[in-house]
Amino acid sequence: MKTFRAASRALRSRQLRTVTAAAAVLALAAGCAASGNGSEQGDGTKKAGGDVTFLIDSLGDSWIPNNSAISSFQGHIWGHVTDKLVYVDEEGEVSPWVAETWEQNDDATEFTLHLKGGVTFSDGSPVDAEAVVANLEIWADGRPDDGINPIGLFPTTYDSSQAVDASTVKVSFTAPTLGFIPTLGYHGSILISPKTLELPAEKQADLGNDIGSGPFTVASWKEGDSVVLEKRDDYDWGPEALDHEGPATLDSVTYKLVAEPSVRTAAVQSGQADVAYNPSPQELDPFKKQGFTVAAPRYLGFVNGYALNTQVAPFDDVAVRQAVQHGIDREEILSTVYTDDWLPAESFIQSNVPGATDHSDEFAFDVEEAKRLLDEAGWKAGGDGIRAKDGKKLALTLYPNPYLATSQAVDELVAQQLGDLGFDIEIQAYDVVTYGERVAVGSDAVPAYEVTRSFIDAGTVGGVLVGSGEDWFNLGDSDAELSDLAGQVAGAVDVDARNTVLDTLQSHVLEQAYFVPLTQIVQRLYLQSPKLKGVSYNGVAYANFFTAYLEG
Amino acid sequence: MSRPYAVYALQRVAQAVVVVLLAYVFTFLVISVLPGDPVSSTLRDPQNNFTEAEVDRIIAYYGLDQPVWVQLWESLSRFLTGDLGVSLRSNLPVTRLVGDVLGSTLLLAASALVVALVLAFAIAYGTRNLPAPAARVLRAFPSLFLSVPNFVIGLLLINIFAFQLGVLQVTDSEGLAGTFFAAVALGIPVSAQVAEVLIANLDHEARQEYATFATSRGLRRSQLFWRHLLKPSSLPVVTVIALTVGELLGGALITETIFGRTGIGSLVQRSVTTQDLPVLQAVVALSAVTFVVVNLVVDLVYPLLDPRVDLRGATRRLRPVAEEVTA
Repeated sequence: MKTFRAASRALRSRQLRTVTAAAAVLALAAGCAASGNGSEQGDGTKKAGGDVTFLIDSLGDSWIPNNSAISSFQGHIWGHVTDKLVYVDEEGEVSPWVAETWEQNDDATEFTLHLKGGVTFSDGSPVDAEAVVANLEIWADGRPDDGINPIGLFPTTYDSSQAVDASTVKVSFTAPTLGFIPTLGYHGSILISPKTLELPAEKQADLGNDIGSGPFTVASWKEGDSVVLEKRDDYDWGPEALDHEGPATLDSVTYKLVAEPSVRTAAVQSGQADVAYNPSPQELDPFKKQGFTVAAPRYLGFVNGYALNTQVAPFDDVAVRQAVQHGIDREEILSTVYTDDWLPAESFIQSNVPGATDHSDEFAFDVEEAKRLLDEAGWKAGGDGIRAKDGKKLALTLYPNPYLATSQAVDELVAQQLGDLGFDIEIQAYDVVTYGERVAVGSDAVPAYEVTRSFIDAGTVGGVLVGSGEDWFNLGDSDAELSDLAGQVAGAVDVDARNTVLDTLQSHVLEQAYFVPLTQIVQRLYLQSPKLKGVSYNGVAYANFFTAYLEG
Repeated sequence: MSRPYAVYALQRVAQAVVVVLLAYVFTFLVISVLPGDPVSSTLRDPQNNFTEAEVDRIIAYYGLDQPVWVQLWESLSRFLTGDLGVSLRSNLPVTRLVGDVLGSTLLLAASALVVALVLAFAIAYGTRNLPAPAARVLRAFPSLFLSVPNFVIGLLLINIFAFQLGVLQVTDSEGLAGTFFAAVALGIPVSAQVAEVLIANLDHEARQEYATFATSRGLRRSQLFWRHLLKPSSLPVVTVIALTVGELLGGALITETIFGRTGIGSLVQRSVTTQDLPVLQAVVALSAVTFVVVNLVVDLVYPLLDPRVDLRGATRRLRPVAEEVTA
């Protein structure tokens, strides 16, 4: 049974949903009609210059760098207009960028950054120690009285920073913060001209005023419509890891908002655009057969799965939690909702996160085991196939994550799989604002909180799981072992030692079945013209066109 | 101008101002009772680990910590001085956001209206001047246009003209071709309403004695149409055009979404989903003003066009004849 309670969103009417359905049908028709588009294939020669058109479903909300939410659409623009102190690749490997080298003290509370010389913002001012300090201060504290947020996920242990000389910055923390350097590669930590940072919120919200030192600059933009980026000719300080010297090859990148997914994909198919962002996974196979590139980079973070509320029935019983873990067929989810580009979860963190280890045996699909666990816990099947105990039905409500387009399809499949085990599952879908209001971690009404989140360093993992942090499992401090492990991860001063603890932590969380992993997350999906080559994807899966080129 | 007309006009203008203010207050109250606001839902997003103190200071910056009536009073007094405030979602001044998209919507609505009028007139002309079987087929067109949803027309147009024929670039939504096809998609349903009223009134006029007399004098069908039927039948169309303003604004959202255009429709959609109150206030006020002004113009112009209108029954308007409307 499904209930949709989005009555307050008058405009998210059934009509718009019908639009999507009709569009899918039409796109299918278009797909059949258009032959394999041979002219789309490049001839293998690298073209000088070139313009790329990127069709995107939203351009996000605010252009105030600090206020644009983590994992937002604006990350695409910021990634081209600004630089970061370090580069973090898809495997979580940290390498130099604007910071050439760095060192830290023994207890990871003090870091010294040495900056590259000659780096300038596009307004001409230097990216020197003073500028970096100005950025660190506003990342950590924001200017709340002026409506400017601190950036999310910046270490709360931040104490202060100072410019030792023009190219050296010293940063101090109140506690060990091993994750500081990787965090500098996060898409929130973008270097912005101090002149921009001084502007009031209203001015910073104008993308045209937001000056970075990146390989592209904003040539023009129109709110809710498009952003045109232009190559910066004097750019010569790209990350070493990208192996590309000097300015970008492409002359321009145009981000154009096209809300309708089938129109985005059809436009790439017909050669009117080069990249369609967030196509429906189910639509991709025919495109691949026609030679189009599908990029499904994973980001570093938590996998997609359910954080279970251990204080609410039926999940106050570890056996029921384990039954859910073993009762979900992840292969079926991958083959039904997704394509080969998606991977099954191996733990509750993505397998590309440094320190992640394979724990898939601990929550493997096993129907018999799941049934045995439920029987043992006293949940007996009734005449209608639904299990009950002491007159109460084994009922569960799932709330699809509105940030993830495929979430509802996954939940429907899970409802079917758990339904076969004897669960009575209801799905309630909310839009983003209502979801944020009603569906909260630890709420009594939310036995299973659907989570997926990016982070760049496993050091942040411990904090969210326990009572003093976000308390995902509503445990408070009742699980002393978890609290201890989480504390050790957060306070570690050495990566190797931390990895050992992290492995134990993963085992503990999965054995206690606090978390039910589903699949590894691909939240940014790209359908590209075969002519477009050399696109790179960083640790948070944003496409970077600095290294890209078009074939002739 | 006569005294009764001046009194009538003043009355109508005063009514219009009250309608706009009420619409403004009503929107404010409706949105205020909804749960959440974009600022706190962004700040309290679990991905951001902001302290409550930081969140409170930012909420205070936007004045969202004030009681509803204080917020309403401030919003209303700002509105009356022409200051529309700052968008909660984008932090940009609301006047800029609305100003950026207004032109695009006006162009689309005006083009769609032209498309609708041309289509409606062509259909109506055909029903009176084509041979009977063809005319009968034409009479079914308005119902057909009304029953096919706007978005299906839009997607079909895009599929054919953008992806099959390549005459329309989806990346150039504000260009000439983009505007034309969007206007066609939006204009078709509107043309149906206009055509129905026009056809019904032509039929009505054609049954009048003067028309019978003119035909008996040997006037050809097209001569009768142009010389005698068109003018009296067109008058009620003015009323219908005023009513289609809603259709043009409402349909604009779907048309804009499908054709990737910016406009009031897409701005409203984004503002509703994020509960961006200042922007919604401005757009509702703007829509109310548009409706009221269009209707006001019709009300003020009508007595001048048709001296039979009784000014003492100020709100009475000559209604279109609808006896033969089938759909």
